[in-house]
Amino acid sequence: MLTILVFISMAISIALYSAVVLIPYLCILFLPKDLREHCMRSFIVLNLGRAVIHLGLRPFIRIDYRDEAGTNTPPGIYVCNHRAGTDAFLMALFGVEAVQIVNGWPMKLPFFGYNARLAGYLDSTKIPLEEYPKLFKSLIDNNVNVIAFPEGTRSGSRNMNSFHSGIFRLAMELGIPVYPCCIAGNERFPDRSFHFHKSKGIIVKRLPPIMPETYRNFPSAFVFKKRVHDMIQQENQRLDAELDSR
Amino acid sequence: MNRDKIIQLINKIFVDKFELDSQDLTPEKKIFEDLELDSLDIVDLITGLQHTFQIPLRDNKDLLQIRTLQDVYDLVEKIIAEHPEVIEKLEK
Repeated sequence: MLTILVFISMAISIALYSAVVLIPYLCILFLPKDLREHCMRSFIVLNLGRAVIHLGLRPFIRIDYRDEAGTNTPPGIYVCNHRAGTDAFLMALFGVEAVQIVNGWPMKLPFFGYNARLAGYLDSTKIPLEEYPKLFKSLIDNNVNVIAFPEGTRSGSRNMNSFHSGIFRLAMELGIPVYPCCIAGNERFPDRSFHFHKSKGIIVKRLPPIMPETYRNFPSAFVFKKRVHDMIQQENQRLDAELDSR
Repeated sequence: MNRDKIIQLINKIFVDKFELDSQDLTPEKKIFEDLELDSLDIVDLITGLQHTFQIPLRDNKDLLQIRTLQDVYDLVEKIIAEHPEVIEKLEK
């Protein structure tokens, strides 16, 4: 029952939001590519995420956002753990212009995939490895953050899968700040079969950035990914305990 | 160079480059599953092996067969045996 209600609520929130932004959206479609991508990211997609969170999800679950990174933070790579399908929407809580790196199939979704492509989201299955440094440099130079889920797939539980090191290698190569981000509480909201279950809440937390001067002396990207992985895992254990005590 | 010395040097690469605990470095450990390296981390491993042993590795097809630490030990031992000049260099 909860699953049906959440899906209906999300569908209504998306429909309402689409109706409100229809005219600006149509105008954006005719803009040059760079400007169109900027408008899609910083307005259409960002607020779509907000609409889904506030209108679609919050009636059913408490969602808290905590920021330990401060204000006026430089653009960087947001490294998040990945428990559930709602993670992609929760990224709107950061309130920054960003692209997400996605693993092929989300780009093929009828509505979300189309908008993700318009916003310049990165399909990791289609971009050759050697193009990433240039691509990332261009994004960061234009104040666009990159959101990555280096586990590669949803864990569907409180366990964290190991990270892939590619994103950390790029950060080290280009000297980009890395923001470890924690998402706790949504491991069954929804589960891996897209069924929503009652939960005590979701907490999203942005930790202080790890700056190049900190990771410069790490012996390898492997060490960098392990440190960030452990940092997120430890913080998530605290957040899970807090949610359990509610 | 004996096998124990080769193993010791390879394990040192894993400890220095990947900050793995030397206690965890047993021959049966799977590189990807147990030690959690991925295909890009293997590039760092190859660089470390080339630097330590002064052996050509990058184009070696046997690299694709590596699954466990034992495989790494065997491969390096085999390449060193094929390049006697390496032993002289290392012993200097």
